[in-house]
Amino acid sequence: MTGVKVYELVEEPDWFSVLSPREVRLLEGALAYHTLVRPGQRVRVTALRTDGPHTPSLTDQSTSRIEWPDDRTVVGTIEAQATGMPVSDVSAVDVVVDLGGPPASLLRLERPPGRVHEVRSAVRARVPVVFDVLRQKRTDRLENRRLSQPIPRVGRPQTRGTGSAAGSPRAVLFGMHWLELGGAEKWAAETVGMARAAGLVPIVLSDRPSGHPDISRPVFDDALVIPLSHPMTGEQESRLLSDLFRRFDVRGVHVHHCTWLYNRLPWIRAHYPGTSLVDSLHVLEWRTGGFVDIALRMSNVMDAHHVISPQLRDYLVDRQGLPRDKVTLATLADLTVEPAVGRAAEVPTRSPGEPLTIAFVGRFTQQKRPYLFLRLAARLRARLGDRVRFVMHGDGELASEVRADHARLGLTGVVELRGTDRPVTDTLTEADVLVISSDNEGVTLTSFEADAHDVLVVSADVGSQASVVPEQMLVPRAPLAFLSEAERVITRLADDPDLAARLLLSQRARVDAFAALPRARDWTRALYERWAS
Amino acid sequence: MTNVAAVIVTYNRADKLGKVIENVLAQDRPAEQVIVVDNASTDSTGDVLAAYEGRPTVHVERLTENTGGAGGFAHGMALAYERGADYIWIMDDDCYADPDALRTLVEGHERAEASMGMRLPFACSVVRWSDGEICEMNNPEPTWDWGKLLVRGEQTVLVNSCSFVSVMFPRWALTQFGLPLAEYFIWFDDQEYTRRITKAGPGVQVLSSTVTHDLGVNRGVNFGDVNAGNMWKFEYGVRNEASYRWHHEDPFAAFRFAQRLFSGLRGGGVPWSLRRRLARKWLEGIRFDPKPRFPRTVL
Repeated sequence: MTGVKVYELVEEPDWFSVLSPREVRLLEGALAYHTLVRPGQRVRVTALRTDGPHTPSLTDQSTSRIEWPDDRTVVGTIEAQATGMPVSDVSAVDVVVDLGGPPASLLRLERPPGRVHEVRSAVRARVPVVFDVLRQKRTDRLENRRLSQPIPRVGRPQTRGTGSAAGSPRAVLFGMHWLELGGAEKWAAETVGMARAAGLVPIVLSDRPSGHPDISRPVFDDALVIPLSHPMTGEQESRLLSDLFRRFDVRGVHVHHCTWLYNRLPWIRAHYPGTSLVDSLHVLEWRTGGFVDIALRMSNVMDAHHVISPQLRDYLVDRQGLPRDKVTLATLADLTVEPAVGRAAEVPTRSPGEPLTIAFVGRFTQQKRPYLFLRLAARLRARLGDRVRFVMHGDGELASEVRADHARLGLTGVVELRGTDRPVTDTLTEADVLVISSDNEGVTLTSFEADAHDVLVVSADVGSQASVVPEQMLVPRAPLAFLSEAERVITRLADDPDLAARLLLSQRARVDAFAALPRARDWTRALYERWAS
Repeated sequence: MTNVAAVIVTYNRADKLGKVIENVLAQDRPAEQVIVVDNASTDSTGDVLAAYEGRPTVHVERLTENTGGAGGFAHGMALAYERGADYIWIMDDDCYADPDALRTLVEGHERAEASMGMRLPFACSVVRWSDGEICEMNNPEPTWDWGKLLVRGEQTVLVNSCSFVSVMFPRWALTQFGLPLAEYFIWFDDQEYTRRITKAGPGVQVLSSTVTHDLGVNRGVNFGDVNAGNMWKFEYGVRNEASYRWHHEDPFAAFRFAQRLFSGLRGGGVPWSLRRRLARKWLEGIRFDPKPRFPRTVL
């Protein structure tokens, strides 16, 4: 076993070999949790797994029941105890840990269960544009309401607690959404590596149900990773945090997208006031408020907010009145690609007669609105014929709806569908224009990748996309206006290769100006070095 | 570091524009960027601006049509906001800033905010005429408690509104309240905008920050002065103020304005044909209700 040792096995079982590396990490997280919340007691774990689409159940209250559904099989049993504690002679406490189904089975969960979701999916599958018009109107209403109402804040801390364990190994406590490394989590994972590089022990807690397919990545090798499943008992929650602060000198808490940890920050501040509390924020979610609203609620007990886009800075400082020096803008422009590196100095121009290749790259999810791209392709094909070709690259929960739409709109042979088995760079190398049809974003990393490949980005005017996309290529979020405006813009690009070249220069200027803003890596490295010193 | 953008809007003032820009560039606390919006001038303004091509902090924005002072300020402020300005300091093309005007404005605003314990949406300078006296056209309207900061020893007066001759807005005021109404074209755009943003708190006039407004005569807006030559400006002014009073105060305020207009015109013996045209503009103002546009966050 790898990672940080907070428990020891009473006896090393031989059945670990039958577990996948992912399952081993999940079991290690569960063992860490159950031994930490029961100091001085032996914990006997029964490990289960299934082939069905079930997320792991590692720390919630169901783990104390010694019965399980029929489709679970027992992988093995194991006994462990927390390190550094005298162990009592009384018999072991029994815990049942469900490692869940394979991640591939969880991908098949295309929609959450329940009648409401069933109806919603059926409407979206049949009339996606009408569905989206209504959805965007609701977003507009919620956005207006949100901007006109103050967000409640927790009180400022008054108490002086004991502080974490000075003299113990210095550590950072991370809160993550889950261990599926998309945009925000990709950054979170990188910070885990940066903490280790700064000489701090990374302790990672995750919040949401998931198969955690990326838990076995090397970046987590020397981290203590505990994927939480809810609900836990209140007593165990506080014991888990207390014991982590007792064993480690937790210099800082860095919350990425983790509601559970956000909500426990006032408690941490009350008891461990010497620990720095910071977060990284990526996107404003108008419909739910999302993590930005939670961050605002908790701001009075926090030391700093790191934001990745100017839009978030303006929201927090200008709209919500947070002190300017508490909000740091530091971008992820270089997270997947180094802007301006590898880009030819010359702007490529399409030769006359050559078709314009228009691409969609991203997950097939409601947020990305792949159905709008398909309809845009249908409109452009009808208008421009063979002068345009399309590539749609991605996969996700709307995959079956995308395939059905693709056939229904007669786009077979017009829009090439590519799965995630092909590298995105193939598509970007071929493309002239990338369409971003999302209804919400922070700053899309794909925009930087597209720019690095000299691909023009036509984007819905959402989030901070205006920071990297010239105004002429920003189109409205509302679906009907999106379709007509994107059709107009792309038709002009097809008709006028010189215009495309000029816009590409303008896009480069925007991307370069954005890339010149402070970088998240630099800010985080400096922060962790301060914590480590 | 705080990023201040100076915005100068110009139209056919080639004779004064160079001095305006030079005075801005010679500030002892220089602006990080100077944006000059040329409202499609038809005189030799282009030649004056050509001298600033390649200056690292100067950006010249040439509009294809004359959008009026209101349109020019809205455009320039939006551009400054997009370019990441923390504060936006705006002025006309016949405003000569004293060398410490910006520094004292920034410092006075900062001190006033600390003293009031709140964010304040604008800070304006004292505007003098060429002879050193107060410029009648650019007197801010004080609040009922205007001397609050004076008694605390600060050279600052609390105000409800001011003109667009050396006034500085913090970025958050634009984020929350948007841009001036370009549709006003000219006159009362400054009054509407500063009154709009004082919903967040009073503005301040920093008495140590001074500029000179190089007007031909030192006289404020007076309806008794209406004549055929200046009528076009008064038409915009009447429409805009009627619109503001009706839609943003109340209909009684619009009627009080009508009464003031009527008295002024009568007092000046303004011809009836011009009075009738202004009455029609007052009525137009009741139907005229443009909505603010918001700047886009880029940097």
